[in-house]
Amino acid sequence: MGVPETQRPDPMSLMKSILAALILFAAPACLPAAQQAQPPDAANRAAESVASQGAPAEHGIPSKAQPLGREAGFVTNSMLVTWTVALGLIFFARYATRRIQEVPAGAQNFWEWLVEGLYEFLEGIIGRDLVKKTFWFFATIFIFILFTNWFGLIPGVGTIGWGIRSEHGFEITRPLLRGGNADLNMTFAMASIFTVLWLIWALRSNGIRGFALHIFGPKGESSGFIKYMMVVIFFFVGFLELISIAFRPVSLSFRLYGNIFAGENLLEAMSNVVQHPAWAKAVFSVLLPVPFYFLELLVGLVQAFVFMLLTTVFTALICTHDEEHAQEHH
Amino acid sequence: MLTPMLGEIGGNIQVGLCGLGSAIGVGLVGMKASEAVGRNPGAFGKVIVLAVLGMALAEAIVFYALFIKPIG
Repeated sequence: MGVPETQRPDPMSLMKSILAALILFAAPACLPAAQQAQPPDAANRAAESVASQGAPAEHGIPSKAQPLGREAGFVTNSMLVTWTVALGLIFFARYATRRIQEVPAGAQNFWEWLVEGLYEFLEGIIGRDLVKKTFWFFATIFIFILFTNWFGLIPGVGTIGWGIRSEHGFEITRPLLRGGNADLNMTFAMASIFTVLWLIWALRSNGIRGFALHIFGPKGESSGFIKYMMVVIFFFVGFLELISIAFRPVSLSFRLYGNIFAGENLLEAMSNVVQHPAWAKAVFSVLLPVPFYFLELLVGLVQAFVFMLLTTVFTALICTHDEEHAQEHH
Repeated sequence: MLTPMLGEIGGNIQVGLCGLGSAIGVGLVGMKASEAVGRNPGAFGKVIVLAVLGMALAEAIVFYALFIKPIG
């Protein structure tokens, strides 16, 4: 790593940046209909039981992202947050690398520390060859999820928007900005993109026959009659493994969505705990959420890290099969 | 007499049991991770990666119970 000698554009890196931009921009627009898993009234009832400490008009955070326009539109407030974060990251990265110096300082130093740290960490997990092919995706996922989670904690996200005037003051029913990963569409889109990429990488490193053999084929050494029994047993085990592989995108998306959405709900509930003396309400609605903001900072970091780590491990599980064979021949 | 008593419990038994299992699971992972670092303080980096991974997988069960509802 260092200063490149020439600045002529490399077609491979150009394609990679186009792919990365596509993922960042297309991920939130991918599946607008992936909301079947949560009827809003059921989730609102769960939210109500969290926030019902004596606030009769409080319903918690709505579980779906709301459209920006007045009628049901296509662009929602969570999509706006993901676009903002993506644009912010792209501009920050471009700004930091305008004039690359040999000894980095400031923003370039930050990016180099982040990228090199992630690269070495992932190289320790999935090995050198695989990390060269796949690092762009894991690093993008980590950085994007991290900054989207942290962006949802900025004051103003979720509290500035359109609403109705009721007897409890002005209530926001449609915020302008809403936490990006508190929308199941976003997390499911990211998990789906990982699934497609996982299939591509698995097929590319194993071939179709090797892929089927990896899932259904017998492992270990056995001879004679036991070998035939093993083939049958591993064939049925392969179906179980297929089910577990098919469940991975669901678990990835729900883990991230649940953590971030529950965190936002928790913050909203904590700022609505004290209601009755007006001075106490004003004071405690600011003081009480403070420790939970620190908790949400930590949760945002951990969930981004866990998403990246799980996708890395899933890729390593399917792709390092032929690495063992390669090392055997040394 | 049992039915009115059960009626007082309220809430959702499914979510409650999932939360119980998930919290115990996370606590067990944390306990074993602390033990491992106590026995071998130099292995902190590797142990914490495995511990965070295990905790995330155990914690995700409660999100399935909270947010996946049967349709209709």
